[in-house]
Order: sequence, then structure tokens, then C-alpha cells
Amino acid sequence: MSTQALTAQHLTRHFGDRVAVEDVSFELEPGRIFALLGPNGAGKTTTLRMLAGLIAPTSGSVRIGSEAMTPGAAPRLRERIGFLTEAPGLWDNLTVHDNLKVYAQLYRMRDAEKAVTEALALFEIADRSRDRTARLSKGLKQRVALARAIVHRPSIVLLDEPTAGLDPESARDVRELIVAMRSEGRAVLLCTHNLDEVERVADRVAVLRSRLVAIGTPTELRQRLFTSRLRIHVSQDAGSFADSLRASGVNDVRADGTWLSLSEGTLTTPQIVRMLVDAGAGIEAVERDEPSLEDVYLKLLNPDGASR
Amino acid sequence: MRMLALLRKELADERQNLALFVPTLIVGFVAVLLPVLVAVIIPYVAGERLSDSSDFEVAVEMYRNQPATRGLDPEAAVQAYLFQFFAVMLVLIPVTAAMSIAAHSVVGEKQARSLEPLLVTPITTFELLGAKVLGAFVPSIILTAVYFVIYVLAAALFAHPGVAWVLFGPRTAGTVFILGPLAALAALQMAVCVSSRVNDARTAQQIGVLVILPIAGLLIGQLAGAIQLTVTFIAWITLGLLVINAGLMRVAITLFDRETILTRWR
Repeated sequence: MSTQALTAQHLTRHFGDRVAVEDVSFELEPGRIFALLGPNGAGKTTTLRMLAGLIAPTSGSVRIGSEAMTPGAAPRLRERIGFLTEAPGLWDNLTVHDNLKVYAQLYRMRDAEKAVTEALALFEIADRSRDRTARLSKGLKQRVALARAIVHRPSIVLLDEPTAGLDPESARDVRELIVAMRSEGRAVLLCTHNLDEVERVADRVAVLRSRLVAIGTPTELRQRLFTSRLRIHVSQDAGSFADSLRASGVNDVRADGTWLSLSEGTLTTPQIVRMLVDAGAGIEAVERDEPSLEDVYLKLLNPDGASR
Repeated sequence: MRMLALLRKELADERQNLALFVPTLIVGFVAVLLPVLVAVIIPYVAGERLSDSSDFEVAVEMYRNQPATRGLDPEAAVQAYLFQFFAVMLVLIPVTAAMSIAAHSVVGEKQARSLEPLLVTPITTFELLGAKVLGAFVPSIILTAVYFVIYVLAAALFAHPGVAWVLFGPRTAGTVFILGPLAALAALQMAVCVSSRVNDARTAQQIGVLVILPIAGLLIGQLAGAIQLTVTFIAWITLGLLVINAGLMRVAITLFDRETILTRWR
């Protein structure tokens, strides 16, 4: 029996001659956030739609738990999936409560009213439940759309650009809600352009450009693409210490004012610090020079163009 | 259950958007006004009896030959003829309402981008399309019934005694309650199909207006004496509409397939 909430295997989708998605494979685990990154037109939304059984793959397969997503099984399996589409897509003439209630009924919840009350409470929108959604701010609409995506208590949540167009405060609120979904044990797939968001919440990342360019944890992707560097702040001119480190066999040492930057190589950080102290350096600070996820992303999509 | 949930949503949405019904209310008003004007008000103002005019000899003769209307006096027979003649206008009420609601419903969903979240639910194509069709059809039929009552009341109040009863005969009732709903169903299915290809409710309605042309043809055909709206003729039109509706339903079901909506709709 599969422990994965969702498994995509060799997903490929053609639209006429155009290949939107090609040979994409990954898994979603319960209680983890998986981020799907990619430029516009990379096939993210097409991939999400295939995962939700909305469009059929040209080849490849999707499994929800251990069950294959076939046209016959799709309506039943969709009950286990919550999908936040790129636009909130609320019915503006209906109240927040009624928007959620129709969805609870569409999912045939035994107690639709209770499910709505719980979703309203979880997303802290109970006080706006009688408002027509046309009157809500963009951030609140997104909150309602998120509540709608999980009103039927799905084990898998697919989120397409959940913070697109939101102000920083609303975006932070939405991020907190996404993290709360992970805490509840749901498998979350986050499709986004927002690298900062991914950095903050994602456990695993995949970069998509029709094909999967890379997949792994943010740390794994950094290590795969960039050599780890140390930055050391000394109280004197760093130039003279750079020479003594090179003489001791430390590679790729750069000095800039009172800062030294170097590749760790085979030496550990305490060993390097000890060498500098022995050479008479006053150590002010030691920090690891981590490339941002943006650097990783740009290098993955443009291996020849991006440099640090 | 799911269809019912979505149907309730459609009806709630319509209640919040009563402007949708304005064209239908106007058509209904004209449909009631015209026979009263032609059969009652104009002869009264002109001080002439319709039955004295040679134009209506055929009508008087026709009504003398029918058992249900044999007892009418000549003036009542002409009025009954005119009220039955203009009853075709009542068919425009469900057609206008259904087209307007269906176009708004589908195009509205497209503009609000609310179809995709809906498609993620386990709702079937049949349930989705069924809710959309019923959401437009039910109010259209209710409005038709209301206007038919007003039409009969107008005949009872303003025309000669006995004229109102004639309207309950198979000719008028068949026109209003069989042709009307079938034409409305065709119109709304056409509006649904057209709406899948356009992003503006007015464009969908304008194309859907094509359904009105055959109804106008019926009216003109009667006026020119080329068509007699007999029960047999109504039965033939009913059959034709059933065939058209079956064809349109096939197209609509294909268009409402999830994959088609997500990949082909504009």
C-alpha cells in the first residue's frame, strides 16, 4: 500500500503539436508542502489539472494513494482533492456562507452546515459569513477560496498561485494558512512564481519547464548547483590573511576589505577559524554564504547565463 | 442532490440579478397589450364592430364551425380569434427569459472564472448542464404561466363574455404550454452553446435571438393567411422542436465536458 498521497508518473500532455508537459514524475507526501516552480507557460496549471483529473494526460498516470486516476474513478477521487484555482472564482452574488455551503453539498457532506462552520472558523472569516463575496477585499476572497478548497476535508490540496496579486500582509496570512494545512497532515502542492514564498514554506521543490528541470529539497538543490562558501569578517585588512590561507592549502579565497570569502573544501569551519586566529586575525563574524532560491532557480532555468 | 444544490445556487443568483428579467417583462407586457389594443380598444375608440368588417369573415365562419366557440356572438368570435392569434406572442416570454438567464449564467461563470473550481468537484456533466438548463427553464415557465393568467384575465375583463374560455382550448394552451417550453428549451440550449464560445452575454443573446425568427414567422404567416395554427400544425412543430432539442442537447453535453471547457472554451 502506497504511503504517498499522490503519485504522478511520466505525465505528458500534448495540445495538438504543442507539448505542454513532458515526462513529469513526482510524489506528494502527507504533511509536506511540495512547490512546483516554473516560468509562465511552463505547464504548471496543466500539470495541476491532470493531477485533479480535470484533463487527461496524453500519456503517464496519476495515482491518488494506491488508486489510479481513471475517467471512471475521477469523480470519486476528486473528493479527496482540494483545488485552489488561479482566480478565486467565487459566486459574487452569493454570501460567503452560501458559496461554501453549495460546495459542501456538491461534495455530499453529511452535515454541510457543520463543515461550513468549521471552515469559516479555521480561516477566521465567520464574522463575514453573511457578506456577499462581491464586497470582500482580494485577500479575503482568497481566504474564502482557500476555505472552499478544503470545506470537504481533502487529504490533498493543490494550490495554483495562492498569493498572486495579494498585498504583503494578505500574502503572509495565506502562507500561514498553507502551513496550517501541512500541520493538519494534508499533502500540499504549491504552484507559484514566488520564490520567497517557496523558501519560507516548501519542504520539497520541483522546477518545471515542460519537463522537470530539477527536484529536491531547497538545500539539496543549492548543494547540487553551488559550492558552499564561508564569509568571515576580520578586524584587520583581509588581504594579508587571504595569502596565509592560500599558503595553507585553502582554495578559492577572495578578500574584499575586511571580509574573506572562501570555499570550505576539505577543511571544517573551526579549522579555518583556528588558522586565521593563529595568523593573528581578529574574528568579528563567521557566516555561511547561502545562495538564494532565486539564484538556484535562475541557474536551473538558464545554466549558462546565471552566475554568482 | 448535487444538481439540486447547484440549481438552488442558480436561482439565488437570479434573485440577486432581477435586471435579467426586464426584457421578458417588456415582451410579456406587449404580448398582453396587443390583443387588448387590437380587439377591444381600437374598435371601441373608432366606434366600429370588428364583426362588421369583411376582413374577419373567415374568423367568424371558423368559429361557427367549432363546437367550443359556436355559442359566441360574431363580435366575441372575432375577439377570440384575435386573442388566439396573438397568443403566439406569449411563446416569446419563455424564449426571451430562458435566453437571457442562460447566457448570463454561462458567460457570468466564465467572467467570474468560477467554472474551474466547480469542475474540480465530483459533479457530472449531466448534473452541471442540468442545473444550468433548469435554472433558466424553471423561471421562464413560471413567468409564462403568470403572463398566461394575465392574458386570460385581460380577455375576461375587456373582451366579450366567453372569449377568455376559448383560451383554455387546445390551440392556445398547446401554443403556450407545449410550443413555449420547447422553444424556450431550444433557445436556452442555443444560448448555452453560444455562450461557451463568447465572453459577452449580449453576444450570446444576439445569436440566440435566431430562435425568435421562426416564432415571428408563425405570427406573420397567420397574418398573411398562409398558416392556420391548428392542433395538427402545432403537433408537427412540437415534433420538429423535439428533434432540434435532442440535437442541441447532444452538442451541449459535448461542450460541457470538463476537458472541453478547460481547453477549448474561450
